[in-house]
Amino acid sequence: MSRKVRIAQLSCGPEYSGVQKEIYDAAEAVGAEVFFPDIALADVERAVDKFGLDVRSADLKLMIARGMALVDGKVDADGVFIGTCFRCAEAAIVRNELRRYIPEHSRLPVVSYSFTERTTAGTLLTRMEALTTIARRRALLAREEQTGITMGVDSGSSTTKAVVMKDNKIVGTGWHPTTEVIASAESAVVDALDMAGLTRDDIQAIGTTGYGRFLIGKHFGADLIQEELTVNSKGAVYLAGHQRGPSTVIDIGGMDNKAISVIDGIPGTFTMGGICAGASGRFLEMTAKRLGVDITELGPLAMKGMGKNVSMNSYCIVFGTQSLVNALAAGSSREDVAAAACHSVAEQVFEQQLQEIDIKEPVIMVGGTSLIEGLVYAMGQLLQTEIVVPPYSQYIGAVGSALLSSGFIQGE
Amino acid sequence: MAGYTPDYVGTVTKYVFVESPSMTPGELALRAYEASEGVLIKETCFGLQVTGEPEAVDHLIAEIRTFDPTHIFVKDRGFPPGDPRRCRANLGGARPGYLGHEREFRILRYITHGLEEVERRGEEAGVPDAAPAREKKPLLDIKRLQELIDTEES
Amino acid sequence: MAKVFIYPATSLILSDLVARFGHKPLGAALGIRERIQTAGIDSPPLQITPEEPKRGLKYAAVEVPSGVRGRMAIYGPLIEEAEAAVIVTDADLAFGCMGCARTDELILFSLRQSGIPILELKYPTNEDEGVQFVAAIKTFLASLPKEGEA
Repeated sequence: MSRKVRIAQLSCGPEYSGVQKEIYDAAEAVGAEVFFPDIALADVERAVDKFGLDVRSADLKLMIARGMALVDGKVDADGVFIGTCFRCAEAAIVRNELRRYIPEHSRLPVVSYSFTERTTAGTLLTRMEALTTIARRRALLAREEQTGITMGVDSGSSTTKAVVMKDNKIVGTGWHPTTEVIASAESAVVDALDMAGLTRDDIQAIGTTGYGRFLIGKHFGADLIQEELTVNSKGAVYLAGHQRGPSTVIDIGGMDNKAISVIDGIPGTFTMGGICAGASGRFLEMTAKRLGVDITELGPLAMKGMGKNVSMNSYCIVFGTQSLVNALAAGSSREDVAAAACHSVAEQVFEQQLQEIDIKEPVIMVGGTSLIEGLVYAMGQLLQTEIVVPPYSQYIGAVGSALLSSGFIQGE
Repeated sequence: MAGYTPDYVGTVTKYVFVESPSMTPGELALRAYEASEGVLIKETCFGLQVTGEPEAVDHLIAEIRTFDPTHIFVKDRGFPPGDPRRCRANLGGARPGYLGHEREFRILRYITHGLEEVERRGEEAGVPDAAPAREKKPLLDIKRLQELIDTEES
Repeated sequence: MAKVFIYPATSLILSDLVARFGHKPLGAALGIRERIQTAGIDSPPLQITPEEPKRGLKYAAVEVPSGVRGRMAIYGPLIEEAEAAVIVTDADLAFGCMGCARTDELILFSLRQSGIPILELKYPTNEDEGVQFVAAIKTFLASLPKEGEA
């Protein structure tokens, strides 16, 4: 076992919200330890003055000072976790500014989260895992080419995807709705191997990702079990042919959304949203069902409509669907309703998540929802940029896993 | 979810800070041990932590205060001594409360002076009725300024 | 002996002076001690569980951040118990239990609303102010009912 990854915690409120143990547990689960940078009172006064953000709460001042001690190299850390109470405006300002400041002035990976008393270690786990991976596996993440024969399996909340790669090419794909986690993965793998004309014995290394990564990772004897923030970043820049320099990866998933600011294929800052189903692929699925079309037809339908013609002012999946039903009843066209649904999801992701990371072009959209062209169009309109949707974008996690797992073929 | 079984139930712990020209934390500890009578004493860089039954701790604190009344300060502590949850070594740094103490250490000498003066003046001290209002004094007296100017010019 | 809420509730100086002049200081340590000495679910470091912000709903609405409600679960009962309060109004560098400005505002408001006798003053910045500070607190505390008088 390698040494523990040391994560510096900058926070206000977790001890009083009853969630500090959840932070400890999430860190421990990924072989990391949380610590609080040691500084003196004079450091706090100096740092707040230098940083220039004059907040009232002393614990926020402490956060600023601890952040600056990390940037100045006075305290060593491998990564930074920033956490403040959900719904605290003062803390949100400090959290956002520190999340910007630390990566700009250091090489430290940062993850931030606004918690409530309901936050659990499970919620924090993926973020902590990404943070420790970036800190621990920079060499693995530097891989830009797939070698040998490898397989990646992405066990998502809606669908399970499998990809077989050989000599830097995708030679087989499989796709199944996630019903029973292992059975769905097995089906996807069988399809991918069939298409590749290969057998399981030919596979030299396996990588797994997604919600079911641990379960299927154990089942397939995976060499790499990795959360989706890291593999999706890697997969996105690989497929988009943009492995060097900055980029932004957006993945609107069935259960949560990821917005990742990537540099040289490695996640810098990222956000994961998942509180509201109205901002997810699930809402688009429900819209398609209500409109009586397959999800694959929703995108083209939306491209023919005008979202502005339909009033959509709810962020909730239940009330949002109701708005669409009302619009249809009032005579709106199915095309306009489809476009409005796409715009609503894009707008929520834009407002809730993309404000929290620095958008750098190219913006790459991945995951199953990137095939819904109406959604991609709406996001492009909001960001005022041409969105890149690479080939195989729906297999992003599986491709990223297959690519990274080839690092394990020769025991790399 | 793991259960939690507390230690030191029914005890109280108090910090004893000593900020004195005539008594070091070490000397304070030595004298406190002599008077401890079963109360747990832990020496620290700033003074002591004492833990025990409430009455016993109160008794010891009263005794300790007599060693140097205006330079010894006492405060309640929520945790028992040496608790790993508050330990600097485990947290990687001082717990936030320590910085708050640092803030007040800076002005302890004014409190010491205040205690000495109030004690000296006794009942005739004539304390202000209301909370002390901060008086703004000019940084330099106008007459003194004129003197300085005159000196410079001559 | 009166129960005197001290603000900042983590203050060494106020805790000392209130006890020194014969009264019981009510500060953060008492609330933390109670939790640290009560068996239950393991929730380090302060033994404040996710249930506490829910208890804090008595003092602050659900849209108030969890950290405020969790802190109020500690302070609320102490404020209710308090018979007097000594408040330092320029305690801008009190961390941890006192580290949230929104909670601190709510504590001060609750104290002022409660109708108990309150002394408000500033930290001394020189020896003369030190004398005024100690004298004011001593006089205030002397005006409170002693044991058996209440």
